Amino acid sequence: MNSQLLAQSAVQAPHIEYGQLAPMLIVFGLAIAGVLVEAFVPRRARSAVHAPLTLVGLAAAFVATVLQAGTHHVAAEGAVGVDGPTLFIQGTIIALAFVSSLLIAERRPDTSAFVSDAASVPGTQEERESLVAGDVQTEVYPLTMFAVGGMLLFPAANDLLTMFVALEVLSLPLYVLCGLARRRRLLSQEAAVKYFLLGAFSSAFFLYGIAMVYGFAGSIRLSEIALAVSHSGGNETLLLLGLALLGMGLLFKLGAVPFHSWKPDVYQGAPTPITALMGSCTVVAAFGALLRVLYVGFGGMQWDWRPFMWGIAILTMVIGAIVAITQADVKRMLAYSSIAHAGFVLTGVIASSSQGLSSTLFYLVAYGFTTVGAFAIVTLVRDAAGEANHLSRWAGLGRRSPLVAGIFAFFLLAFAGIPLTSGFTGKFAVFAAAVAGGATPLVIVGVLSSAVAAFFYVRVIVVMFFSDPNPDGPTVAAPSLLTGAAVAVGVAVTLVLGVLPQPALDLAANAAAGLFVR
Amino acid sequence: MLVLLLSHFGLAASVPFVARRLGRATFVLAAAAPAAALVWAGFRLAEVVSGGSVTASLAWAPQLGLWFALRFDALASAMVALVAGVGVVVLVYCSRYFERDEPGLGRMAGLLVAFAGAMLGLVLADHLLALYVFWELTTVCSFLLIGHRRDEESRHAAVHALLVTTGLGLFMLVGLVLLGQAADTYRISALLAEPPEGGPVSVAVVLILLGAFAKSAQVPFHGWLPAAMVAPTPVSAYLHAAAMVQAGVYLVARLAPAFADVAAWRPLVLSVGLVTMLQGGWRALREDDLKRLLALGTVSQLGLLMVLFGAGSRTAALAGVAVLLAHGLFKAALFLTAGVADRQTGTTRLDGSTGLWRRMPGLFGAAVLAAASMAGLPPLLGYVGKEAAYEAFLHEGVPALVLAGIVAGSILTVGYSVRYLWGAFGGKPHTLTAAPVPLPRVLGLVAPAATLALASLGLGLLPGEVHVLAAAYADVFAGGEEYHLALWSGWTPAFLLSAVTIAAGLALHPLRQWIEGAVVRVPDAGAVYRATLRGLDLAAVTVTRRIQVGSLPVYLTVILTTLVATPGVALVSHGALPSTLRLWDTPVQLMLGLLILTASAGVAVARRRFTAVLLLGAAGYGVAALFVVHGAPDLALAQFLVETLLLVVFLFVLRRLPPRFLEARQRPPVSHAGAAALAGLLGVFVGGFFLLAATARRWPSVSAGYLDRAREAGGTNIVNLILVDFRALDTLGEVSVLAVAATGVASLVLVAWRGVGGGDGDPAMTEESEKRRRRRLTPRAREAPRRRWLAAPYGPPLGPRSVLLEAATRIVVPTALVLSAYLLLAGHERTGGGFAGGLVAGMAFVLRYVAGGRYELTAAAPVRPASVIGLGLFVAAGMAVPGWVGGGEIFAGTVLEATLPVLGHVKLVTSFFFDLGIYLVVVGLVLEILTALGAQVEEEGGLAQ
Repeated sequence: MNSQLLAQSAVQAPHIEYGQLAPMLIVFGLAIAGVLVEAFVPRRARSAVHAPLTLVGLAAAFVATVLQAGTHHVAAEGAVGVDGPTLFIQGTIIALAFVSSLLIAERRPDTSAFVSDAASVPGTQEERESLVAGDVQTEVYPLTMFAVGGMLLFPAANDLLTMFVALEVLSLPLYVLCGLARRRRLLSQEAAVKYFLLGAFSSAFFLYGIAMVYGFAGSIRLSEIALAVSHSGGNETLLLLGLALLGMGLLFKLGAVPFHSWKPDVYQGAPTPITALMGSCTVVAAFGALLRVLYVGFGGMQWDWRPFMWGIAILTMVIGAIVAITQADVKRMLAYSSIAHAGFVLTGVIASSSQGLSSTLFYLVAYGFTTVGAFAIVTLVRDAAGEANHLSRWAGLGRRSPLVAGIFAFFLLAFAGIPLTSGFTGKFAVFAAAVAGGATPLVIVGVLSSAVAAFFYVRVIVVMFFSDPNPDGPTVAAPSLLTGAAVAVGVAVTLVLGVLPQPALDLAANAAAGLFVR
Repeated sequence: MLVLLLSHFGLAASVPFVARRLGRATFVLAAAAPAAALVWAGFRLAEVVSGGSVTASLAWAPQLGLWFALRFDALASAMVALVAGVGVVVLVYCSRYFERDEPGLGRMAGLLVAFAGAMLGLVLADHLLALYVFWELTTVCSFLLIGHRRDEESRHAAVHALLVTTGLGLFMLVGLVLLGQAADTYRISALLAEPPEGGPVSVAVVLILLGAFAKSAQVPFHGWLPAAMVAPTPVSAYLHAAAMVQAGVYLVARLAPAFADVAAWRPLVLSVGLVTMLQGGWRALREDDLKRLLALGTVSQLGLLMVLFGAGSRTAALAGVAVLLAHGLFKAALFLTAGVADRQTGTTRLDGSTGLWRRMPGLFGAAVLAAASMAGLPPLLGYVGKEAAYEAFLHEGVPALVLAGIVAGSILTVGYSVRYLWGAFGGKPHTLTAAPVPLPRVLGLVAPAATLALASLGLGLLPGEVHVLAAAYADVFAGGEEYHLALWSGWTPAFLLSAVTIAAGLALHPLRQWIEGAVVRVPDAGAVYRATLRGLDLAAVTVTRRIQVGSLPVYLTVILTTLVATPGVALVSHGALPSTLRLWDTPVQLMLGLLILTASAGVAVARRRFTAVLLLGAAGYGVAALFVVHGAPDLALAQFLVETLLLVVFLFVLRRLPPRFLEARQRPPVSHAGAAALAGLLGVFVGGFFLLAATARRWPSVSAGYLDRAREAGGTNIVNLILVDFRALDTLGEVSVLAVAATGVASLVLVAWRGVGGGDGDPAMTEESEKRRRRRLTPRAREAPRRRWLAAPYGPPLGPRSVLLEAATRIVVPTALVLSAYLLLAGHERTGGGFAGGLVAGMAFVLRYVAGGRYELTAAAPVRPASVIGLGLFVAAGMAVPGWVGGGEIFAGTVLEATLPVLGHVKLVTSFFFDLGIYLVVVGLVLEILTALGAQVEEEGGLAQ
């Protein structure tokens, strides 16, 4: 900003394209409506109001996203880019949030995943009272919607400051949500604190990165940064430093190694529906933002960030896959698997081509739905103390409830990338794009890690199917309509994207064809 | 073809549902699909042997180049005949082999048909990735079938097979993708027509061969096949003898015409094949379990097939097709006989039964035929193949070593063929179950085995027909003399070699005890596999222990190290120190810098929390002093005040914490030295970062225009003007956040306190009772009587009463309040402003609180803090209105000047009211925090008393 701008006497009213921003506006509207529900609806009736409101609202937001198809425009005075990839990502996030909301809304007697009274100290009389009274912390709904709104804005943000705001809007509610598990509350609260502290660091890195890049380019707008990069040749300290810091902030949200350490603890500690939300929507949003920053803002200096991203991708795939082997907890194992998958997606990002973009988009859809489905299954396997997450407790599940175990095995095979599941198509798409982009060594590492990853997925399948069940093992709760629907969606998408992926691939390719708007 | 394939999978999906009603007959129903495939292939055979082909394709994901393209040609027809033919026989055999009440019959039948379909797809696929898909499907079927019995051994065997084949299958996938990318097509037929060349192709070929080796159980990946023998015998016969394990060989055969001349191909394939052949044969001679003996024999034969197809010559390829067919037939037949023997005698051990040949002559006949084919005796198909194999390596320019290896391998083959017959049927002196039990008639079991054995004989008697089929494939290899598959080609060297082979092989049998006892041990592939898994586990545990300790300091160390390593390196490698850099302007800066550094280091090493807080404060004061030196009194003032206030807040918090940081016995998760080094590096990095940021200005400073604007707005203190005028909207946002934060802190403090004391007998705590309680904790002013130095009679919260402090408070507080009013009023022109003023007033209240406690505070400020905050916000936000109503901008400032009777000339800037709002919010904030913390402190004190 310069003095002339400051000296202008009258402020022009900004031109806002409400239609193009409708998906985000609807979701933020839902969040605010949720707060009002908390304020004015009687305690007992809140859940009954929140759940339908959330689901209908998300459906409306999805429709609003679909209606924008074909838009390629910078909206809201340059703050928000509405284009093919963004709409694809937003649609994916909304759909995944919808499925996660089904899990969040699950409220069978005594099986809610959320704490009765978050403010009560674990183990006190007060906690017991609120449990007996059957309270539930219904603030979960507006918090979730704020987070989802932030996730929608994150990949759409066309300038770094908007992106930072989106980052905070999506992160802060998640920090809180992580601490709201009903069982094992201390674990949950510890996870929330860790996530918050490390997340605060990463946000700070991101912010410093913005400052550096602004110092270099004189603008926070991605398109102008790209312009400045193309003029400079990209070999400037401010720029490199800024990009590295921005990258650290974004990679933290993805959970790429070495910024992954929060992921297992948080995935394990958080209430499972929230884990599902984080495992799917947050990852998608973070990749969307990373893609936009790398492709739009810093596409001109690929040769500077590629080596760095290569290293990150290799580390992420290898460490994610290797450490997953030792995990004895289903949620932790899925967390590491999510880290490894982030590495696989990064190979598609590194391809930095239209093909890379479309394959990344496809992978995100495929992975997101499989993840939500898998966590939905995790919520079903329960014993007296809540969810039975220890793998040894899953022994012989295939004998006791073949359907649930079979579906979980199917999800695991999809994670492993066995053909005719969405996992194979996605992995093949990103690897093919990476090979075409000259990243063959990366693909070989990716395949090696896939082999290691296949090892631990198979181990779970073997435990479920080829072991004798524990006599006092967990039971499988009969899935209610909501959880059942979430599982069904996960299975359907995983299967369809594996057997008949062409329509989805077309959609991703069309979305990616125009690249990001500048 | 597509219909044929789909019918397999359709049948596979539906048979489990009818299994309950049909029982064992399910298998006969399931046999319909491979039977149909066999009939279809029979009708098309004439077309393909004349060099034609049948094709079909279905789009899967065209955008990724994924098609289900199918092509039926000569090589495929041989495989289809094998897959479908053996499939029908085995399924019929199953319908008698399993008990009626065997669990999971339907699942088994479904899986077998699904496997037949996958195998059919594999050999028909004309697309690299379709081939891969079917390849993996066969692996998955195999996995599920091996694990059929669900005991520990089956589980390990199933996982072993799956991991080895899929793991290396993934390498193959990379190879396939590389190949497809290099050729720009994934169509196998197009690829063979125009083979791509170049570096990636060599890599691709090696990767593909690795996958093929694993699938076909070649050394060193062969360990899974003997282990897989825990599967039911029909499964072993079909998957692990006739069909699935041939897939790797098939792939080599398929690609050899195009890639046999790639540099790595022949050395790799020939050496691996030969070693496999010898190793398998040798171990088969020492094995004392019938099924494992056959499995090791399979390993050996697959090695031979690798050599034949990998050699890439016409004669070898002819031999390959003949051996492929022969092996499928005789090995399946032998497994089926082993299955019958198992059922009849209850054991598969070589020394488990005796004299079975006398009791089951039909079965024995079939076994003899099949074993003779395996040993390569005329006039069976195995002989035809072996003759051709010798011929191929006698004449073409390959090392003599290969021929020698094949002859040696064949001698071993004869040896273990005899061993099998002897073990399964022969009479032995020392057996476990010597008592001959009467055996039921099992025609339904013997007939399938006999069918396959007779097929070996039949095809052996018709070498011309086999030749036509084999030549249709082998003719793609150019050169080589016109060899014909035949039973009798004259007194050729090959014939003589065959005779030697058979004689030497038979001679091995009497030596069996010496061989069994021989110390020549070959490395066990199972041990390699187990060691690999153990290594992986160990690596995983080690890595996990290192990087996933659950400790926040460690996580932070990793992240900060990365920060220093990546952006830090960029900073060092690219950043240049500005040439105009001066160390200091005045020595005072040096002194202050040293003070700040020392204090910061002190914070890090302090053992007591209180010490650390004081040192932190010292560092903060140092920074404030630096501001003064740099001529920024506003900043300095704010900094001083904030530091002081923070110190007080810290005191409240520290009371709840242990006085020291870490107990001495606790070992810190990150070593002190490491942490110190990292902190030092980080400090240098941040320093460099800010140096760079501060010197890298290339755009005009935004403050340039402020002086003019300040004059326009009628003030001289730019800092204050920015806050209350230029960027008033920002400030409004900030004070709103401040208000929210104050409310949040207060409620958190009260809630936490409520939680701790929650057991104090108010079981039905509702929101109402909670409100009452809060009111009780917030005393009213009138409750406090006046006496002595201070207004309220109660003691201070943090320690004993102090008259000196009380007196000082009495004197200082009014002065401070006046100062705060001055700062508020002077802000427009001189140092000061609402924020600083509010802080000073807040400090005055803090002082009274420290001296006299909560009631004293209430006496000093007889209002509810929340009201003060609200009023402040109201006033500040209200200042938006005049400008807006007047038609200008919101928060537009106006200067009002007037000459009043007493005060004289008065100048009033409307932004003053905005400043007043800030002032009130800050005061309210301090009061709110003091009230909340104080309530908690005193309540606890009360409880303690």
